[in-house]
Amino acid sequence: MKRVLIVHDDPDMVAALRLPLESAGYQVLEAGAGRDGLRQVAETRPELVILDVALEMAAACQVSLELRNPSPRSHYRAYRHIPILMLTPPHTAASLRSGTDEAYLPADDCLEKPLDPDVLLEKVHRLLE
Amino acid sequence: MELSRVLVSLADNAAMSLKVEAAAVCLLDESSRRLRVAAVHGLPAETLNRAPQDIHACGLEREALAGLAVLAADERQELLGEWAGENLRSGLCIPLVHEGKPLGTLGVYAAQPARFCREDASTLEPLAELGAAAIAAAQALAELKTMELQQAQFIRIATHELRSPVTVSQSLVRSVLKGYAGAMSDKQAEVFTRISRRLDLLETLINDLLDLAAGKAAGAAKAEPVLLNASIGRVVLLLQPRAEDKGIRVTFQPHRGQLIVRGTEDGLDRIFVNLVGNAIKYTPTGGAVAVSVQQKEGQAQVEISDTGIGIPEQAMPELFKEFYRAPNAKQSGEVGTGLGLAIAKNLAEQYGGRIHVKSSEGRGTTFTVTFPLIDPNGLENPLGSILFK
Repeated sequence: MKRVLIVHDDPDMVAALRLPLESAGYQVLEAGAGRDGLRQVAETRPELVILDVALEMAAACQVSLELRNPSPRSHYRAYRHIPILMLTPPHTAASLRSGTDEAYLPADDCLEKPLDPDVLLEKVHRLLE
Repeated sequence: MELSRVLVSLADNAAMSLKVEAAAVCLLDESSRRLRVAAVHGLPAETLNRAPQDIHACGLEREALAGLAVLAADERQELLGEWAGENLRSGLCIPLVHEGKPLGTLGVYAAQPARFCREDASTLEPLAELGAAAIAAAQALAELKTMELQQAQFIRIATHELRSPVTVSQSLVRSVLKGYAGAMSDKQAEVFTRISRRLDLLETLINDLLDLAAGKAAGAAKAEPVLLNASIGRVVLLLQPRAEDKGIRVTFQPHRGQLIVRGTEDGLDRIFVNLVGNAIKYTPTGGAVAVSVQQKEGQAQVEISDTGIGIPEQAMPELFKEFYRAPNAKQSGEVGTGLGLAIAKNLAEQYGGRIHVKSSEGRGTTFTVTFPLIDPNGLENPLGSILFK
């Protein structure tokens, strides 16, 4: 059973993610944003990380930046192959992806809220292929 | 001009006009009880870091704030206060007053004893008057900027706080509706579909309200030269799939030349997404929407015509009011917030434009938006900066 770690600051959003993910047979783990998220990545070694970028944007980005661009001595270097799916506020995915921002988006894909569960599963399947 | 530059220039000019080594501008704080050294000429920069002082501790400045020019000569050395520490033996201080309100003081100081006389005060007074007016203007501008920042900040927080619960609820409802929480009865599915529709409408409403607030807050300040054809082309392309789904033919006739108007790309897109979107929304299957851009009487003119349900005559005066929806629009079954046209009008007017509407109920509507044209030759970098940014 593949494990998906959801790093978030809103339990209701986790509930919305959990429904489609669990019915598609994934094991859902959760962690708070920031350091807790990073610790959980190391402890649970999930196959995929979903980052919910809500108010705690900085904390969420800390997780993805640390995983994507670890310093040579970073403890998290071993986990940089783990794909990251970023949940973004409505109408922001396009601007996050366009132009210069692309270089700074430390995620493999993003998904706009509100969530379309079918699109979520499609993206998760693709990232785990 | 920025306040700091106004103040420095005032101190420099005062010292130079009287040919003395030192000058200082002190400003009163909000309580009008304390003075802060705000700009100096010929004095150590540390002077600026001094904590604000109670006006009673600043002899020369306190007397000047009482309304008259004050001389500190040998016989009144004590008035120099802290300035004496800078090896200054004489001073002349006059109040900075704008529209009857004391703002602070302008002082000139010299190491030479009894350096100043009454005539020097007359030399300084016009400078102080001008300086006070410039300080008042710069302070007003700074206050305005702070207010704008606060408003933008408020909108950002409101956006998050309002949207977040709605998007989470939408996400939950969609997961349930698509069967990820188990099978539902037809009745349950119907209820959830209703909830989902209302949440979608609420999301649109929040976005529209915030658009309206953001548009009003931003003002025309951020407007820059933009290409009209490009903006409308983008919007037509964006809405084409919606029209195709509904079986409506959309045609777009751009102007052959490049028409440049003043606005923001985002703002222009919002205007035309609302107008072209409405045309598609309120035109039945099989109908047509025509969009064209022309140059007429020195203005750029965009026309959006449809063969839709039209607008009843009695609805015309209310059309651009916030939250108003024409009765036939409500009956059409299409959801709407009644804010789209208010947003479009508000933005168009910010860019110096106008929106006109002609309609015949049951036959169709034509919206015409006009904008003042910008002469490309008058631009510092004609077209290049717009086309290739």
